[in-house]
Amino acid sequence: MNRFAIRCAAGLSVPFLLAACSSAPSSGGGSGTGAGPGGQVTITVGDRPSSSDPANRANFDKRVADFQKANPDIKLNPVETIWDATTFQAQAAGGQLPDVLNVPFTEPQGMIARKQVADLTQVLKDQGLLDKFNPNVLKIAQDKSCNVFAVPTAAYSLGLVYNRDLFKKAGLDPDKPPATWDELRADAKQITQKTGQAGYAQMTTNNTGGWMFTAQTYAFGGSIENEDGSKATFDDAPSKAALQLLHDMKWTDKSMGQAVLYDINGISKVFAAGKVGMFMAAPDTYRTLVQQNGLPSSAFGIGPMPQQGGDHGTLSGGSVQIVSPNATDAEKVAAVKWIKFNYLNKYVNQDAAVTSAKAGVAAKLPVGTPGLPVISAEQWSTYQGWIKPYVNVPLENFAPYTKVAADQKIIAEPPVKAQEVYAALDPVVQTVLGNEKADVGSLLTKAVGTVNAKLGR
Amino acid sequence: MLFALPVLLVFLVFSWGPIVKGLVMSVQQTNLVDPVKWVGLDNFHYVLTDPGVGQAALNTLWFTLLALLFGFPVPVLLAMFLSELRGRSWLYTTLAYLPVITPPVVAILLWRFFYDPSPSGMFNTILGTVGLGPYPWLDSPSSAMPSIVLEATWAGAGNAVIIYLAALTSVRADLYEAAELDGAGVVRRVWHVMLPHLRGVLLLMLLLQVIGTMQLFTEPLLFTGGGPQNSTMTILLLIYNYAFVNGDYGAATALSVLLAIALAVLSAVFQLATRGWSTE
Repeated sequence: MNRFAIRCAAGLSVPFLLAACSSAPSSGGGSGTGAGPGGQVTITVGDRPSSSDPANRANFDKRVADFQKANPDIKLNPVETIWDATTFQAQAAGGQLPDVLNVPFTEPQGMIARKQVADLTQVLKDQGLLDKFNPNVLKIAQDKSCNVFAVPTAAYSLGLVYNRDLFKKAGLDPDKPPATWDELRADAKQITQKTGQAGYAQMTTNNTGGWMFTAQTYAFGGSIENEDGSKATFDDAPSKAALQLLHDMKWTDKSMGQAVLYDINGISKVFAAGKVGMFMAAPDTYRTLVQQNGLPSSAFGIGPMPQQGGDHGTLSGGSVQIVSPNATDAEKVAAVKWIKFNYLNKYVNQDAAVTSAKAGVAAKLPVGTPGLPVISAEQWSTYQGWIKPYVNVPLENFAPYTKVAADQKIIAEPPVKAQEVYAALDPVVQTVLGNEKADVGSLLTKAVGTVNAKLGR
Repeated sequence: MLFALPVLLVFLVFSWGPIVKGLVMSVQQTNLVDPVKWVGLDNFHYVLTDPGVGQAALNTLWFTLLALLFGFPVPVLLAMFLSELRGRSWLYTTLAYLPVITPPVVAILLWRFFYDPSPSGMFNTILGTVGLGPYPWLDSPSSAMPSIVLEATWAGAGNAVIIYLAALTSVRADLYEAAELDGAGVVRRVWHVMLPHLRGVLLLMLLLQVIGTMQLFTEPLLFTGGGPQNSTMTILLLIYNYAFVNGDYGAATALSVLLAIALAVLSAVFQLATRGWSTE
């Protein structure tokens, strides 16, 4: 456990230390417009599903109504705003963010540094939530003094999504996805030779190239930044081996197809169309692939992240709820109550778990998709028991992933300027997949220079 | 004067306000939440030493050059051709203008489908029937930018055609008749009657095209995200990334100011150089 983790664990387990390392309650620097007559607080909450997704929207609206009934002193104003890397900064700058918003794990650290999120430590403590979280996951939302700036509500670790039908056609065992990158390479080659489709594909654009390369580097035992995020570290042997493997699969084995430019939407479409055998993704890709892109659920398979040269671990991701830095104390309390009601209650309350699962089934959403626990492991397994009768995803297709993921070490994203680092790595991956003569070593050395300049700014 | 005041105020606030604010932000470090920090020319130093800026500038110039070579003559020729047609010319004009009214996002999604690099992609299938390809189109750094030029020319030509056609309708019919009586064929009519009349409009359109192409943004954002290998990363896309992905408004505005200065200088030089050409 690193020093940061020890400090935070100590802070969480010892109330005295917790009090010492949590900040003073905010003095309410917000707009103060939230409190209405009779002490009623109004907050805007983001992530309301759009009207093109009516079942999901109705489900969300019902939860809003239920919450308001249970909390008559809080009024919610649901809006359709969702987090988007390309619009978030503008919305934050223009004061257009809702009071509560769902954002991915890559963001909290940058937001904390830029003071774009409210400190929730005291409110979470008052609401009895602070000690309920999986400490590994909570780290994502803490600063160096262990103050908590966001509430984790979903977590996953990346694995290897594969097409079970293509595996069968290629003569591979669909219940046995590759466990190492050498096996992955052999399987990809076999898929291409036997079926004519790309055995493996990798995302490369809009920062996903860097994201996936980070995951791959971790699986090879490497790192992207040093511990305090002051220097780039990906010009060493594991990253080089990872990149060289991609190069060889593309140019020697010819098992990666012609297309180079994929983002998550693009790769989901070709994968669902049966043109790609494997790609790195999280279990929640199930929804995108099966519900949005029409992949038969029987063809969906996910295994753990293949490792190389030892059991190194896999990149984690997920989402947290943030609260606007302009929120008043009363608004912060209202926001945390809503987050607890909407996202966390189901994990700790059987009725809430069953209601939520039933609503999910009615809205035709995947219920029971495996992921990492945001709460303690024991509570997580109790929750799984509660929702078992309502699970509507083929759990056996997730079995290779779940068997390993529970114990696999999870590694956080680069601690500083993750999105900028990913952006600088996109062209590296694109070059290797687009140019047979690409020099892996010099590409990485050059990218390290670019990233160091960004980290130093 | 009193009646003009509201208009003037609106103009100052909404048109010049952001420009002045941009100039101020280029010498500040701000995330628009914390108090601003004045950093002098630091932002300019940062963007000028960013290797990405040099490549983005070269890519932008490369696009401008390709657009001038291929994109500029197409609408001129199309307009001349349309003006020569007798009957149903409205139909052909409509067809030429149609791509302009297609929303850019829709057009780009459509062309991404055309540019599918696999042998079963739309363009590759067509070319395959005559034994050509498959070509990587957007997926290779050497062909990505020309592919974008092709789409941008298709999407933008209609606008220019309409302007050239309007200019050509102002040519007096008796000039054509006189030329025809003198035995001038199509080529000589184009050379001696049409082109001299279009000269002023051509020069203006040339300047507008250069300024427009230097601000290329939508196509690389939606087609390639700046890839492959940064080969379609343009200055404007970089500014956008600085601001809206990295939250570095100082760097974004500094680069915007540099681009604006470059375009202003370019326009001034162009005006000076072509002062004598637009009128005879």
